[in-house]
Amino acid sequence: MSPLKWVSLGIAALGAVLIATLIVVFTGTHWDRAGGDLGVILFCSVVAGLILGMMHWLVTGRLDAEIRRLAHHFDALEADDEQRPEFHSRYGFDEVVAAVNRHADDLRGRLLDQSVDRREMEVRLRISDAQRRHLEAILNALSDAVIVTDAFNEVALANEAAADLLGFDLEPSLHEPVERVVRDASLVNLIKDARESGDAGLRRCVEQRLDETGRNAIYDVSLSCVASSNPGDSAPPGASGVVTILRDVTRDREIAETKSDFVSNVSHELRTPLSSIKAYMEMLIDGEAPDDRSRAEFYNVIQGETNRLSRLIDNVLNISRIESGVVRIQRECIELPALVREAVDILHAQARAKRIELIEEPGPASCRVLADRDMLLQAVLNVVGNAIKYTPAGGTITINLGVDPEAHRARVVVRDTGVGIPETDLPHLFDKFYRVADHKNLAPGTGLGLNLVKHVVEAVHGGSIDVTSTIGIGSTFTLALPIADNE
Amino acid sequence: MDTQQPLILLVDDESHILHVVDLKLANAGYRVLTAEDGEEGLAAAIEHRPNLIITDYQMPFMTGLELCVALKRHEATASIPALMLTARGSGLDDDDLEQTNIAAVLSKPFSPREILAKVQDLLNPESLEAA
Repeated sequence: MSPLKWVSLGIAALGAVLIATLIVVFTGTHWDRAGGDLGVILFCSVVAGLILGMMHWLVTGRLDAEIRRLAHHFDALEADDEQRPEFHSRYGFDEVVAAVNRHADDLRGRLLDQSVDRREMEVRLRISDAQRRHLEAILNALSDAVIVTDAFNEVALANEAAADLLGFDLEPSLHEPVERVVRDASLVNLIKDARESGDAGLRRCVEQRLDETGRNAIYDVSLSCVASSNPGDSAPPGASGVVTILRDVTRDREIAETKSDFVSNVSHELRTPLSSIKAYMEMLIDGEAPDDRSRAEFYNVIQGETNRLSRLIDNVLNISRIESGVVRIQRECIELPALVREAVDILHAQARAKRIELIEEPGPASCRVLADRDMLLQAVLNVVGNAIKYTPAGGTITINLGVDPEAHRARVVVRDTGVGIPETDLPHLFDKFYRVADHKNLAPGTGLGLNLVKHVVEAVHGGSIDVTSTIGIGSTFTLALPIADNE
Repeated sequence: MDTQQPLILLVDDESHILHVVDLKLANAGYRVLTAEDGEEGLAAAIEHRPNLIITDYQMPFMTGLELCVALKRHEATASIPALMLTARGSGLDDDDLEQTNIAAVLSKPFSPREILAKVQDLLNPESLEAA
């Protein structure tokens, strides 16, 4: 039974008591004298109470049904106008229903708007998420290190190259202050200064050495400011962010330096024989050679120095030809003693000019190797020429030719009394463009001569080259070449 | 030879250069001494106190620059001007010039006429007074 029914019973009981009391009061009946009227009074009271109770029962029953209809109607408010059932109240609830309907419609409208907004937001979020993933993919595909910092100098974005270069973990570093992520104080200052300058068009390129990488690397740091935020927001003054790009230019610099050194070294090396040629030519033109003998000597010097120039140019050209595979190798059986003698003859004048004694020790009369004659001659000339270059005046260069039948090798050993090569330089001696630092002021050189020798002896002829040296005592270069099979 | 003529010391490990410059200066009437390396040049300079030293830059053991520094430090040779011959352009900075008496630098390939003109410039009375 519903609470309203209990209320109806209560009203019936209270009504009966009340009516009985009223009858007694209005009829002036005294309880003591009521006697035979008491039954009538009680009967009337109960009947009246029952009538009241029944009336209440009926009214509350209707109201209860109306409230349930109302509740049912309210439950249907979520539906659209077309699907929503009409509601007509028989008890004057129409205004209430109309008011509730209006509010419901308003609320539904708002909910609908919010739902549209939410969907729009979700779509935007998905697009933004996809764009961010694209951006991250692009950033991570870059070999340059990229760090994007926001208006609070916190890391907003960074790529894997930046994490590798600067030694931080990508994920935990996001939204961290840049000084906690980047340990290089000068780089942090550059980023902060760029942001504080607030110049949206600012683009600075500086060269920065980052020692934290453990190597003396040079980076080209490019800083671009992101346009400033709205003046009203809480961001600190300045640009709203900085995009920092670090490009490792160490190798570029090394190559540029090597190129520059090479051009400089080649030009220096060419200048020495060119000086002699120019000077002797001028003396001849000016008629300053005192006699025929002197004139003949001048011509010889010019010829010798011209050949020297030619050999230098050959060195430069041949190294690139061999490396690019353009050069055609013409192997033939040649007599090594004859080739060594030819080299000694060519360099004799150069050695004599420095008062250096060039000694060719007695060796086998015949020793045949399968070789490209011109290339091998150039290799021997380079080794002996180098010895002349780094042996002070009055020194000695000994050339020995030997045969090692067990190893099936012929050996050309060039021993000088030169300045010697520091031990630390020996492993790099045959590297392209390499020059012993201590020797740079002693004589001009391109750093190509010994590199060419190694190419010719090892790559072209399948031989080997070895060097031993003692500072202040001299150096010994050994060229080992396979003996020709028909030997 | 006229001992009143200025004495010039030539230092170069390339005998071709040494010979041709020697001849050019001798033909112009100068007295010329030659040395084939820096150490020999330093010893000759101390002993003969030439009026001018012409030296190559790139030489084994003691470079032309090291020779000029040594000359400047030595009391007997401290005031002798030097003419540097180099294949390395100038290759000398202000510090190098400050701690030496290098008065002029000639880049290779040079001409004997150029050397003679430079020598005459350096050995004229005004230059000697300035040195």
